[in-house]
Amino acid sequence: MNITEELKPLFYPDSVALIGASGNPAKVGNRILKVLQKTVKNLYPVHPVDKEVLGLPVINRIEDLPDNISLAVITIAATPAVKAVRLCAEKGIKIIVIVSGGFGEVGGEGSDLEDELREIQKKYGTRMLGPNSLGIFLPETGLDTIFVEHGDKALSGGGGIAFITQSGSVGTEALGLASNAGYGMRAFVGLGNKVDLTETDFLEYFAKDSATNCLAFYSESIDDGKIFLERAKEASKKKAVVILKAGRTEAGQTAVSSHTGKLAGSDNVVNGAFRQYGIQRAYDEEEICDASKSLSMLKIPKGNKVAVISAAGGYGVMCTDYIEQKDSRIKLHLAEFSNETSERLKKINLPFASSKNPVDITASADDEIYVDTLDAVLRDSGVDIVICLTFFTIPAVTKDLVKKISEKAFEYDKPVITFAQYGPFTYKYLKEFYDSGVVGFSSVYRTVRAARFLVERADILKTFGEDNEY
Amino acid sequence: MNINNWIDGLNISGKPDEWEMKELFRLYNIFTPKGELIKYDDQFKDTNLQNPLVVKVCDPEILHKTDIGGVKLNISDNIEFVVSEMKSMFPGSNILIEEMVPYSGIEFIIGALVDPDFGSALMVGAGGILTELYKDVKFRLAPISKAEAIRMLKELTVADILQGYRGSQMNITSLAELIVSVGDLVNDLGQNFSQLDMNPVVFYEGNWVALDGMAILK
Repeated sequence: MNITEELKPLFYPDSVALIGASGNPAKVGNRILKVLQKTVKNLYPVHPVDKEVLGLPVINRIEDLPDNISLAVITIAATPAVKAVRLCAEKGIKIIVIVSGGFGEVGGEGSDLEDELREIQKKYGTRMLGPNSLGIFLPETGLDTIFVEHGDKALSGGGGIAFITQSGSVGTEALGLASNAGYGMRAFVGLGNKVDLTETDFLEYFAKDSATNCLAFYSESIDDGKIFLERAKEASKKKAVVILKAGRTEAGQTAVSSHTGKLAGSDNVVNGAFRQYGIQRAYDEEEICDASKSLSMLKIPKGNKVAVISAAGGYGVMCTDYIEQKDSRIKLHLAEFSNETSERLKKINLPFASSKNPVDITASADDEIYVDTLDAVLRDSGVDIVICLTFFTIPAVTKDLVKKISEKAFEYDKPVITFAQYGPFTYKYLKEFYDSGVVGFSSVYRTVRAARFLVERADILKTFGEDNEY
Repeated sequence: MNINNWIDGLNISGKPDEWEMKELFRLYNIFTPKGELIKYDDQFKDTNLQNPLVVKVCDPEILHKTDIGGVKLNISDNIEFVVSEMKSMFPGSNILIEEMVPYSGIEFIIGALVDPDFGSALMVGAGGILTELYKDVKFRLAPISKAEAIRMLKELTVADILQGYRGSQMNITSLAELIVSVGDLVNDLGQNFSQLDMNPVVFYEGNWVALDGMAILK
């Protein structure tokens, strides 16, 4: 069976059994039940003694569940959880999400319990996600097993990013943060301790999933590293793959006596390997969200020449410095405008404005000047990317600017990245940009960094072409 | 000779000396200086090698031979004396004499190791004795394509030197080919391989030449 078929019961279950369903609001099994209740039609809460929970009839024994249940979610403590997994597997349930903790992450007895899960997996062929997994969240259907706040309302609009995370909290906190400015999520998967399903399985699944256009991973350890990289390279030919690889391991040499061993340091090999296999690297939770959002929503530029539009001179200068700054990811350059563009800019703008890059349209700008300037620089064949720094504090600028910039940006085949800062209203504007299909950030640094993700992606696609030339 | 004979024929199992490393390099068509090995118990008489010469202690237990006087450069006369002096400094060690390569331009290092997560990896960068100070190195996994080796070289801070910087004639394509060969070598060593340094690698008369090398096998 291929992975798409195999994981179908996880993402699109016909029926779900919740082992550990509870009426007690302090219990994980209560929170998950409340969420599943809203979206799952055939839901079977399982509890050893209760007759009813949250108005649903309860089944007391796993053995008494109806046949052919697609998915079981288990929230009870580790030792009984293993017993429940065995019963679910015997019952022929296809996939089991083990939310319960107390396994390998605590060592000792917990690791033995994990071994037991592996045995059950081998014996019955039941696929398992976890243990110690937050499970999944699929905005498309609303299926959600995550029991902590994760910006689920803000993320319910969905999008193209598959977010696969080894750590539950990094995943949910990152998404909470990202959801403030809008983040288009295809699916969230919490891998947990990976007794069975690993990052490689979900990489394969989402590489084939037509609704996914970007894969983002948080990984501390990558199982079967080389196989994962090879699959990631295949995926990367069609979709961007971004990984936040944390937990930098030593090269692991018994006696590091070579220069090479010493220079490998903490994770230079990971950097090189990611580049070689078409993977983009992120270093913290904000960067992985920024990168995946940009790569999922923005067009890939043909080159690295950036035009900057700003109504505040200082921000334009700062932006220029960031663009020209040496960066290990990829080089960017400030675009040089054609004479035609400069002439156009002079006509659009007031006499004291700058018609050179960065274009300073000054605080006398209005919506029309913003949009006409954007049009003029987008038209220039020497411009690959436009960064538009917006300021809603300016008297003549209205809230319609968001929509107008969005409309203009979609007329051209080049990425337009915006920046907005407006005190406590910053996220409101960034969210409005997002809702109209435009990516925006609250700092100049992050805005320029987003341009680097795009140019790096263009470079990766170019190298895939080069590999056939030799 | 093939790589398996080479592994089996090592003087000390798993610990090749410089002479043996250069034999291995030559198996992969990698240039090394012309040289001769003088066994510790051999009487040195004369050599047909062309002056100037280099005299080196050749012992896998001695890793940083420059630091302890184990390398004498630019010897044009009295070679017998230099060899006997080296012998008395390092009794029981073999001695290697080589024709000196009068290269100019910067030195490179090519290396390899086994990463616990991803397997064999290759390194290239600014080499010589200060390589750990520069830290201008890039890594890739083995085996590697020529295109990938070129991309790796272009990421180095010193990359421009391979692309005509200040009239430099160093050839980036043949250096990339050398990296590919080291990748093949590491691949062929398979489970036996642990770490390798080829350092320095220099450009002389149109070729990249490995002036020294060390490896640790399992």
